[in-house]
Amino acid sequence: MRGRNSPFKPRPRRTWRAPGELLNFTLYFLCAVLLVLSRIGHGAVVEVRDRLLDVTGPLLEAASIPGVMSRQAVARVRSYMAMAEEIDRLKAENEQLKQWEWRAKLLERNVSHLRSLLHAVEEPALHYVTGNVIADARGPFLRSALINLGRDHGVRVGYAVINGDGLVGRIVEAGDSVSRVLLLDDLTSRTPVLVGRTGVHAIATGDNSAELKLDFLPEGTTLRLGEEVYTSGSDGVLPRGLRVGTVTGAKGAYKVRPYAELSGLDAVSVLFFDTPALIRTDPPPVTAGRPLSPSPEVDEAPAPVPTAAIEPDPGGAPIKQAGAIEPAAAGIAQARP
Amino acid sequence: MKGMLPALSVLFAVLAAAVPWGLPAHATFILSLLAVTMVFCWRIIPGTTLPAYLAMLFGLLGDLLGGGPLGFWALMMLIGVTAGGYAGPFTDGRDLKRLWIVWSIAAFLIAGLSWLLASLYFLRWIDWWPMAFGACASVLLFPVVLHGVLWIRRGRLLPERTALYRRWT
Repeated sequence: MRGRNSPFKPRPRRTWRAPGELLNFTLYFLCAVLLVLSRIGHGAVVEVRDRLLDVTGPLLEAASIPGVMSRQAVARVRSYMAMAEEIDRLKAENEQLKQWEWRAKLLERNVSHLRSLLHAVEEPALHYVTGNVIADARGPFLRSALINLGRDHGVRVGYAVINGDGLVGRIVEAGDSVSRVLLLDDLTSRTPVLVGRTGVHAIATGDNSAELKLDFLPEGTTLRLGEEVYTSGSDGVLPRGLRVGTVTGAKGAYKVRPYAELSGLDAVSVLFFDTPALIRTDPPPVTAGRPLSPSPEVDEAPAPVPTAAIEPDPGGAPIKQAGAIEPAAAGIAQARP
Repeated sequence: MKGMLPALSVLFAVLAAAVPWGLPAHATFILSLLAVTMVFCWRIIPGTTLPAYLAMLFGLLGDLLGGGPLGFWALMMLIGVTAGGYAGPFTDGRDLKRLWIVWSIAAFLIAGLSWLLASLYFLRWIDWWPMAFGACASVLLFPVVLHGVLWIRRGRLLPERTALYRRWT
């Protein structure tokens, strides 16, 4: 008979967990190695990421349909609830805009007259293509969005991305059909800007919060709250005059509240603005039968200037339209009247 | 097919975390952390398998979709797997409190590690609030996620409360 203390009692079967532990340790180690390789920007990691970007694009495009539809439904319900107030507000705004339209036309005539007197060179039109956001995955590291436009649509790394409200960010990765937009509020985002009527130079720096910091302001600069901030174009990548936001905060810690609602992006436009700096960092592909051009060819008829009123197809179909903005027309791309 | 449910559900969660839901900036950490919560829940439910390497692959997919450094969410998923392995099985309704506490510790460990890694990555202290907010939300939502995982496993929601926590043994 085997008692509790009997030496003959069957021993519990020893489970050998070493392979499992070893596998876990290997996986942890692999993650650490990948993190280090990502930090140093190893070419292999970048290449794998670029290749997989296109593979995941269609998957995300399909997956984003319910999200986009639910957001639209919520927005619609909200707009129905506040419809009466919205109509009153729009009427007042319309009256105000009519006055602005008259004034803008007058100014436009004056500007063209002065330009002709000065023999000024005409600014080239900014071509753009419009698509929508298919992924908005943001974490502690990055504030970015994936859009359903890629190199096939003429998109290249460095191009500015705008929506109806203003600048959103710029392209940092471009696959064939999908691109990644680094948003203005990302920790690594730096945008050279001009502030106010005096055009004070500064750098709008993202810090993963809703507002951007204004760095490198000249010593003793005093800004007025609500002054407009727009791109200076001094980085040689972004066009000058894109609306960024308005000044908030206090002296010594001025901030910029972006016009664009970066956490709720939907339809966005990519501006084809080629500069020598951009062409050097991301040269355009040389394709047979198509000469290099400063901006991608637009086959379709120019579409109206993109505004926030452009709504995606209710069925979830992606927006992909192309057009051109005349800078002189003071459209969405140009901040200053 | 039933054996693939844990993997499929976590894959769905990772994809859903990448979809633009229009959440505010401080709430963006929550969705990815809920995928880790799901991994933890699958590990504590007896009779289900979610291997560590598969969880890591889903984490890598999350990294790829999110655009962050490769290996970050993979590491977090592995922590979720390890915590689930050490937490013990969920065999009784009375285990809920113990597992909730274990997950709370794991969630705040993950949030702290995220903050530390991100700060090291950029060589500056980054804002800790989104991570803390995400950890709090995932702790509060733990019973909901566990309920959801149990529902996925059973294929139906039982009407009685006791049935949710019935004994497997």
